[in-house]
Parts: sequence; structure tokens; C-alpha cells
Amino acid sequence: MAVFNINKREIECKIVYYGPGRGGKTTNLEYIFKAYKKQVKGEMVSIDTEGDRTLFFDFLPMDLGKIKGCDVRVQLFTVPGQVQYSSTRKLVLKGVDGVVFVADSMEVRREKNMLSLKDLQQNLKEYNLSIFKIPLVLQYNKRDLADEGIPIMPVEQMERDLNRQLKVPSFEASAINGKGVGQTLQACLRLTLQYLQKQLKWAN
Amino acid sequence: MREKIKSLLKQAELYRSQGLYNEAKESYERVKRIIQKSKQLPNREKLLANISKKIEKVQNTLVRLENAKETPQMSPEVNRLIKNLFSKTGSGDKDAAALEGAVALAKFGQFNDAIAEFRRLLGVESQRVQAAKNILRCLLAYKSSDDAFDQLSEWRSEELFTDEEMAKIKSFFDGLVENKWDEKGAARSEALTGSSEMDEDEFLDISAVAITLPNGDQIELDVSFQSGNVVSLIIDKKDEDLIKDLHEGSKLEDVHFYSPIAIFRGSGVITSKTRIASGPKEGDYSMDIKIDSL
Repeated sequence: MAVFNINKREIECKIVYYGPGRGGKTTNLEYIFKAYKKQVKGEMVSIDTEGDRTLFFDFLPMDLGKIKGCDVRVQLFTVPGQVQYSSTRKLVLKGVDGVVFVADSMEVRREKNMLSLKDLQQNLKEYNLSIFKIPLVLQYNKRDLADEGIPIMPVEQMERDLNRQLKVPSFEASAINGKGVGQTLQACLRLTLQYLQKQLKWAN
Repeated sequence: MREKIKSLLKQAELYRSQGLYNEAKESYERVKRIIQKSKQLPNREKLLANISKKIEKVQNTLVRLENAKETPQMSPEVNRLIKNLFSKTGSGDKDAAALEGAVALAKFGQFNDAIAEFRRLLGVESQRVQAAKNILRCLLAYKSSDDAFDQLSEWRSEELFTDEEMAKIKSFFDGLVENKWDEKGAARSEALTGSSEMDEDEFLDISAVAITLPNGDQIELDVSFQSGNVVSLIIDKKDEDLIKDLHEGSKLEDVHFYSPIAIFRGSGVITSKTRIASGPKEGDYSMDIKIDSL
């Protein structure tokens, strides 16, 4: 849930990168940390474990400056993707304002994408949030692997698998080289801030 | 064949480099099977030995990851961050925020640091009862009910709490033990991994299912009714032939379940198949599928 300080005209919101393990959530944040130095406030914190798997979360604070007369701060989080960290994901999701779902384009990860989306839906539900209502964008990551001859899913198939009912903005990306990372974040921020403006009526 | 092997090896290497060890292992195993079948392949034995070595290496990594500690002790900086990020009290009360921060640490399995903070809060009038309850909860989660009980006895003998406070703490402890929080690992397991059992109430709405028939064909059928993990389908009499090989008790291994948010693959069992004897659907079939896994 966003924190709105009406006297100081400050708003702090939380965006969570969700998706299957090893899908590129941390890589997204690493790229943002490097490419958006002006907006990034502080260090990126990664709590990972054996094999660079995210254990608890990654955290990156950003300051977007003034938007409609309000100082907007954003906290970016990732969740651990591995199935066994379900409760940690739930903890990190608490108070979320917007979600970026990072799906892995590799054919071998098709089912993992679907299960992770279902997990997101269930965890949101536990906080009385609907996956259909929360600001959400999809990112189809690792598109670059097609050039290396690795079987990846066509975007149309990923849309059918993941976005048939949601109908949210989706973006192709290669987080490893930054392609599509900024676009995805911007779209999620736009949706989130529009949503919060409506909820908190801060622009009035 | 050479190209196929090369391509699979490339995939395996890439999956490995991405940390997708199960997928890497599967690709190596496919290569191994191809080589095993190709009796004429030059250097066949050497290739097989190399692939076996790679499979073993990946398998060792998988075992190492599986055995890695789920909640290692984090640095003080990380724990400070956890406290700050996951304790948003609106009251501005420093001690209430400290309690929330310590609860957050406990939720992330940082029990030592959490208990240290709770102990400090035992000296704060407004937080001491909550702090004591949380100490007991932590001890039950990561030590044992004996440790928690010893702690309770110690507080009682020290007369640290008033009778009223002690009664509240004792009643909380009894509740925890009754709820089997005394089983070492149970609380921690719940805090860290959640329940893995299927809960009927948590089932997604399934609007349609696609079943792979024994002959390999796939049919897609609309769900007419759903109750928990059982979906009911109506099959038109003109499609009778399609389901002639499906019977009560038939196991369906590859089922696509269409939910409002996505398609999920899973399995199920046919729990009933009956011909509708009367009414507007007379002659059609009603079939129930119990979803085993999604």
C-alpha cells in the first residue's frame, strides 16, 4: 500500500517483480540500477544464496521527482522465484501497488510461467487484491536467446498462455542487455501512478 | 544426428549457465539416449563417458542446492533493512515499530536477531506482553516446546510480569502448543514455505478443459459446473464416440485446464460418467473429473 504524506506532498509506492525462478527479475533490477542512476537513490540490495538464487528479495529505491506536485518515491522489489519460497513471496508482496510479471520465453519454462502467474493470483487474493484490478504488466524476457538457437515461445503463444484473460500491457525484453527493461518499468509505473492518483486523489 | 546432438548440447550448456539445472540435465540425458542408440557413432564410448560426467556434475549441483540452508543467518545490515522495509507502523511509535521490525525478522527466519530485539522490548511497558508472546513463538518455531516452556517458567520465577500479564502470556502459549506449534519445524515450515496441500476453496474457476484421449487426439469441453476440485462436463450425444474410451476411474494424465487467468496443465481422474436419462439434455453424457494436480 502506498504511503502518502499529505503535508509533505510525498508518495511512496511499491512495485514488485514477480515470476518463475531464474526468469530475469534480478537482472531487470540490475539493469535499472545501472541505467537509471539519476533516479536511483541508494544501493541495490540483493539477498541471494547458493547459485545466485534470490533468497528473500532484491530491493532498489528510486526517486522519480515531482509528478503532479508530489514527490514520488518508488521501491522496487523482486521475489524469490523458486517454488519453495512461497511464504517469502507472500511477505514481499504485502503492500504492493504494482506488479511486473517477468515470464521466461524459453519453451522449457512454459509451465513454470503459468504456475507462477497462478501463484501471484493466489498470493494477491490473500491480501484481498485481484490480479484483474492491480496495476500489472507482463514482460516476455530472454527474447535474445532465439539468436542462439534456443527454442523460445512465439509472443502469440505467451499471450495466449498468460494474457488471454488479463489483457494487460506486455513487452518483449532481453534484460541481460537492457532491451525492454525501461519500457516495462515505465508502463508499470504509469499504470500504478494512474491507479494511485484515482485512489488517493493527490492530483486534485 | 550430429547437428541434433550439437544443438541439444548447446541448449544444455545454456540452461546450465542460466541456473536451470533440471532442464540442463534433461537435455544431456536426451543426448545420452541418442548416442546410446547410435552404435556406429565414432568415439561413442568417449562421448558417452563425457556426457555421463556432465550429468553427474549437474546432479551434484542440484543436490547441493536442495541441501542449501533455507534461511541462513543474514548480516546485521540486511536484518536492519528487513526491519525497516517490513515494519510500517502508522503510529510513529518507535517501540511499536521495533516490535513490528522484530516480527518481520522472525518471518524471514532470522530468529536470533528477532529474539534479541524482543528481549530488549520486554523492558518496554507498552510492548512487553507482545514481545514475550513472540519470544515463545520463535522458540517453538526454531527450538522446541521444552525451550519455550523453560522460558515461561523462568519468567514466572523471576516475577517479571504481573499476574494478569502472565495469564495472557500463558494462555497464548497454551494456544500455540494446542495448535501443534510445538512440532519443531512446523511453524518455520509454514512461515517459509506455506502449505502445499490443495485447498478446495482455493481452486481457480475452470471454464473449460482439454483432454488428451487414449488415441492421442485432444478434445476441448466446456465446464458446466464446478465444485472445488471437481468439474462437471456435459458431452453432446453426437460426440459420444469421442469419449467412448473414457470410463469411471480413468486417469487423465495431460489435461489443460482453462481458467480466467491462464491455461494450466495438470492431471485428473474421471469420477463419474453417466448418460442423462431425462430432460432437455436426455441422451447427452455427464462426466465429472476430479483435478489431481494443477
